[in-house]
Amino acid sequence: MDIQLKRGFLEICVLAAIKNEDSYGYRIIKNLKPYIELSESTLYTILKRLEAAKMLTVQTVEHDGRLRKYYHITEAGLQRIEEFKAEWKELISVYQFVIKEDDHE
Amino acid sequence: MNKEQFLTELKNGLSGLPQNDIDERMLFYGEMIDDRMEEGMNEEEAVSGIGSVDEIVSQTISEVPLTKIVKKRMTPERSLQTWEIVLIVLGLPLLAAFVAVVLSMYAVIWSLIITLWAVELTFIACALSGIAAAAAYWLHGNLIPGFAMLGAAFLCGGISFFVFFGCLAASKGILHLTGKAALGIKTMFIRKENTK
Repeated sequence: MDIQLKRGFLEICVLAAIKNEDSYGYRIIKNLKPYIELSESTLYTILKRLEAAKMLTVQTVEHDGRLRKYYHITEAGLQRIEEFKAEWKELISVYQFVIKEDDHE
Repeated sequence: MNKEQFLTELKNGLSGLPQNDIDERMLFYGEMIDDRMEEGMNEEEAVSGIGSVDEIVSQTISEVPLTKIVKKRMTPERSLQTWEIVLIVLGLPLLAAFVAVVLSMYAVIWSLIITLWAVELTFIACALSGIAAAAAYWLHGNLIPGFAMLGAAFLCGGISFFVFFGCLAASKGILHLTGKAALGIKTMFIRKENTK
């Protein structure tokens, strides 16, 4: 997959992974594993970018005698997911057009 | 490799970055290793699951802006001695000259590319004016010179077609090299820090 395209996807995937419940780094990677490959270093960059864009907030919580960072989605993050869904509706209709024309050949 | 070795290697690899950036990344990778171990992996497996330190370091360096690395390098850890300040002030014109030379070399490379594109434009212009000239000859009833002009126009057009791809490849190549050079400069700053 094209790198830029994958980057955009990964941001949305990470937002989706924390949408219903706050989550932490390793769980995000595990939840996304069946769908898209995501390395730790890439996740770090994406989390930083989403935090800078105020799409998520970070909270450090004590867990089993050590600290763990939990990521919480913000209103802006939820809105980004909605935008993505709307964009994709359009893209899917374009995709269907391309497939249809290709089949006519 | 155990967790401590991994984090120490990571710390050394990233030592050109500002301290809080390094600390934050160490906490992040430390947490990742702990979470893997909590799931039942042993320390060795948990560390190897994260990937190689070298890869993480090079990915991190390529993502951190050069200004951040340079700023950290330029901020001394102790106050400077008078002789050091004198040396820096005296050395500054030399450094400026060096930077100017490098920048002008870069400018020369780009002017070569611009020249190539200008040649390409010239061929296209020749082709177009050749066609116009052929039309003018024919309007005045000069058939043979008109055909000669048209032939020349096609020749120029054909050459411009090939030159176009040459220009494109050269421009792309230079852009690619620029990216590599930027990464190289960043790595240079980090290496210096490591060998200190």
